[in-house]
Amino acid sequence: MTRGADVFTVTIRKRTGWFWGLAGLWLLLEVLFVQTAVASVGEGEHRAATISWIVVGLLAAFACFAWLRRGGPRKRGHSSGQQQEASISD
Amino acid sequence: MWIRTVDRPTLSEKTADYNRFSGNDMFALYRPLKTQRDGAGSFEAEQASMAKRVMAWIAEKKPGYSLPDIQLSEGAWTVMHSTKPGSGLLSWTRISVRTPGELGTPRHTAPPAEMANTVKAAARLYGAGLVGITPMNEAYVNLQAPRENEKEKDKEIVFEDVDAPSVSDTRFVIPKKMKWVVVIAIPMDLDLLSRVPTALGDAASALGYSHSAFVVSSLAEFIRGLGYEAIPCVNDTAQSVPFALDAGIGELGRLNKLVTPEFGPSVRLCKVFTDLPMACDKPIDFGLVEFCKRCKKCADACPSRALSFDDEPSFKTRGPWNNPGHKAWFEDSYKCLEYWQKSNSACGICLVSCPYTKGNEAWVHEGVKATASIAPVADPVFRIMDNAFGYGKQRDPEQWWTQDSPSGRKG
Repeated sequence: MTRGADVFTVTIRKRTGWFWGLAGLWLLLEVLFVQTAVASVGEGEHRAATISWIVVGLLAAFACFAWLRRGGPRKRGHSSGQQQEASISD
Repeated sequence: MWIRTVDRPTLSEKTADYNRFSGNDMFALYRPLKTQRDGAGSFEAEQASMAKRVMAWIAEKKPGYSLPDIQLSEGAWTVMHSTKPGSGLLSWTRISVRTPGELGTPRHTAPPAEMANTVKAAARLYGAGLVGITPMNEAYVNLQAPRENEKEKDKEIVFEDVDAPSVSDTRFVIPKKMKWVVVIAIPMDLDLLSRVPTALGDAASALGYSHSAFVVSSLAEFIRGLGYEAIPCVNDTAQSVPFALDAGIGELGRLNKLVTPEFGPSVRLCKVFTDLPMACDKPIDFGLVEFCKRCKKCADACPSRALSFDDEPSFKTRGPWNNPGHKAWFEDSYKCLEYWQKSNSACGICLVSCPYTKGNEAWVHEGVKATASIAPVADPVFRIMDNAFGYGKQRDPEQWWTQDSPSGRKG
């Protein structure tokens, strides 16, 4: 919420099934590739381990990016007196 | 779930040409074939040049061929080399176990399923990676034992209505009442095997053979101790692969070797014939034949171009080392063994390159094998991924002696 606004509109958006599906898939892939990376070191498969760690990193980076953009593009140029909108995730 | 049991092994088609194999494998055939192809004295010249090469490689400490590398392999052979079919550990008669009679008890009896579990549990304890039980098939038993030298007479292998197996200077007698075969797969040390083609890498195979001799001899003694007859065999006496196919240990792959779902083709096979009644296992299908049709990684990796590139398996054999009358991707064993001489090693690149040859720590391998079994359409992707992830590449032989490896040499 923005300081100085006259009116606050709080929009509470429920996460959709798609969101939870994608989050679940992301988590599954992260766990799978972390396990593959760790196991590949144990198996002496260093190239497989390196590739798996890279995939883990890329997936984590994607998740961070998605989290930062979770409300969609931020509105700019708010001024006092305008109606403000903020999102609260459940 | 992805390993399906089936009534007949995949690639089980046989023709009337399918008969008991002569027993003359490539090791027996190489010398006469070499002489026939390259002239008199060519075999001896090759052996002499090989011996010189080994000495030079030892002197220059060529990676994988230093004195410790070579002797590691020699040491691993010890158990196998201390025995031979029908004698020593592979004796066809009791070695030292006490019989039930000596213990004042009748022989052990139980329902066939329970008996199968008992025998499998014992085999696993002795070191078996995979165990299956199948009915005896006389067609898989060799006609004769290979001669140890050219002066020796052929020793035929026969089935007779007798109570106990016997071995003489001229004959190996298997009692007809031996209607069951316990087939065992011994996984090889994958980290060591990945150092092939070198003398160091050969130690994995050598150790596999020695483990095999230990496991089958121990299991044979266990069975004799229960009051039954048992004949332990490693590569000798019969063809291990068809028995293993029937016992559900694996499928026949492009290498013309058994490929197991758990360890790929990096296993040594051995077996015990017995008259102990047991419940038998069924053959399996985990999608290997379809996978091999598309993959061809082993054929690409083979330095001697000995493996088939044909899309489909066929009845077309490549030489007298192949037993005709069954469908397979037949290999050129002459080219294969010729490369063994050049590399002073037992090669094994095809075993390591197979996408089914994997460690069992990463869950993803299980997922890939399951998907390949259920959805063969994904097979080409798995071949590409296998290459991209660097599987099947030769590992540095020198590094083996110093690293903390999965072989358990830590500390």
